[in-house]
Amino acid sequence: MIAMFRAVLYTQWKWSRLIVVLGTVAAFAIPLLSLQGAARADRGALQAQELLRAVQSWGTLYPLLATALGLLMAIAAWAADHRGRHIHALTLPIERWRYVLLRFGAGFVLLAAPIVAVLIGSSLAALTATLPPGLQSYPIALVVRFAFAVFVAYAVFFAVSAGTARTAGIILGVIAALILVQVVASIANLDLNLMNVAQTVLLLGPGPLAVFTGRWMLVDV
Amino acid sequence: MSDAIHIERLHYRAGKTFEIQELDLHVPSGSIYGFLGPNGSGKTTTIRLILGLLRPLSGRITVLGLPMPEQHARVLAQIGYVPEQPHLDTTLTVRELIDFQAAFYPRWDRARAAELVERFELDGEHLFGRLSKGQKAKLMILLALAQRGDLLVLDEPTDGLDPVVRRDILSALVTYVSEHGATIFISSHLVHELERVCDWVAVMDEGRLITEAPMEKLKHGTKRLVVTGAPAEIVNPPFRLLTRESANGGGAGENWVVGDWEPGMTSYFESVGAAVRDVIDLDLEDGFVELLRSFRKGGAGR
Repeated sequence: MIAMFRAVLYTQWKWSRLIVVLGTVAAFAIPLLSLQGAARADRGALQAQELLRAVQSWGTLYPLLATALGLLMAIAAWAADHRGRHIHALTLPIERWRYVLLRFGAGFVLLAAPIVAVLIGSSLAALTATLPPGLQSYPIALVVRFAFAVFVAYAVFFAVSAGTARTAGIILGVIAALILVQVVASIANLDLNLMNVAQTVLLLGPGPLAVFTGRWMLVDV
Repeated sequence: MSDAIHIERLHYRAGKTFEIQELDLHVPSGSIYGFLGPNGSGKTTTIRLILGLLRPLSGRITVLGLPMPEQHARVLAQIGYVPEQPHLDTTLTVRELIDFQAAFYPRWDRARAAELVERFELDGEHLFGRLSKGQKAKLMILLALAQRGDLLVLDEPTDGLDPVVRRDILSALVTYVSEHGATIFISSHLVHELERVCDWVAVMDEGRLITEAPMEKLKHGTKRLVVTGAPAEIVNPPFRLLTRESANGGGAGENWVVGDWEPGMTSYFESVGAAVRDVIDLDLEDGFVELLRSFRKGGAGR
C-alpha cells in the first residue's frame, strides 16, 4: 500500500506542483505582509487600531487562498482520470474506495506545504513585529484554522470533482431549482428567503463552511 | 480443462438501443481466444463486463475462478488489460507510467519491462502524449505483459497499426503465452490476424453470440457447397445451414454455406435425392461474413 501511495503521490505532485509552489509562496507571504507596517522601525509601531484593521483586511486572503488551493488541487487530482474516462484507475487491482482514499491523501499531503508555509510565515511575522501594548499574535491558532479550511475546501471540491458529469449536473440542478423556487416565491409575494436559509445552514456555526467566515486575525487583543 | 473466463446467461442493457442478451462464453485456460465481431457488436461492452467496469443486469461472470465484479481487485491483479483507446495519462513519461504500474502489481516483472522497453525501442523519457500510435500500443502491451498476469484481455490492440508494429505485438504475445501458459482473450474485427494466432474463436453481433468454437473446427467446418436437386425444405441436416441461394444461371444448382461440416456428410444429400457437385473451402473471413449474413437473416444458431 505504501508503494501505491508513493506512486499516486508522485503523479499528483507532477500534475499540481505549480499550484503547490505558488500556494506555498502566497501562504508564506500573506502573514509577513499583513504585519509589515508593524515591523517598520522608521515609522514606529502603528497604533493598535490601525494594525488590527490592516491585519483584518489581509486576513480575508486566508480563506480565499484555502478555497483556491482546495479547488485547484481537487481538479488536478482527477483531471487525468477524467481524460482517460477512468478506465486506467478502474482496472487497477485495488478496491475503488482505497484508490479514492489514496488520491485524497496524496492531495492533502501536498497541501501540507502551504499550511507549513503559513506556520513559518506567521511565526516569523510575529517574531519580527513590534506589537503595540495589549495586542498578541496567534500564529498557531491561525495555522490550525487555515489547515481546517484547506481540508474542508479540498474535501468538498474533491467529492464534486470525483463525480461524473451526471453528478455535477445533479448539483447544478439542485442549485438551479433553489433559485427557481426563490424567484417564484418572490413573484408570488411569499415570505420565503431560501438564500438566507442556505447561508445560515452552511456558513454559520456549526455549518460545514463556517470555518471560512469571521475574522482571520494573526494579531488580536 | 477449466475456463479462464466463464460467462452464463449474461444480460446487460445500455440505454434503449443496445443490449447483450443471454450471453454464454467459455474461454479455456491456456487458449488464445479470438473474440470477433463487427464494430458496435458488443465486444468492448462484454470486455468491460468481464473486467468489472460494468455491472450486468443478470447472469454470472467468473474470471480465473473468482466471481466478477464482486472480486474485481483480486481478479484484476492477475489480468493484463489493453483497452481499445489509449487510457494512460498523456502528461507522464514512459518511465513514470512503468513505475506507476509497477507499484500496483505484486507480480510485476522489472526485468521483463526493461527488456520490452529495449525490444520495442521506447524512450523512457518521452511523454505518453507525444508517442506515435504504434509506440502507445507497444507501451500498453508492455504494461500488460510485465504484470505477469494469468490472463491478458486485449481489446482491438492492433487496430489501425502498421504491419510491422502488429507483427511485433503479436510476436510478443505469442512468446508470453508459450513462456507462461497464460490465456489471451483478444477482440478484433481483423479476421486474418486472429486466424494466425488463435486456437478458439467466438463471433458476436448485435449483442448476441453467434458461435463459439475451436478455430480448426470453425475454419475447416465452414464450406461452400454447390448442390443440385435439393428439395425446398430440408429436415434435420447433420450440418448447420448458414445460407442457401441459387447459383449464377439457376441451372447450375444452388450455393449453400454450411457450418460444422464433415466429409462424410455428402451421403445426407443422396438420402434426400440431391447431389453435392463441389465442396469449396472458406477461409475464416469468408466464414465470418457468411455467419454474420445468416445471423442477420435470422438463420444461424450456435
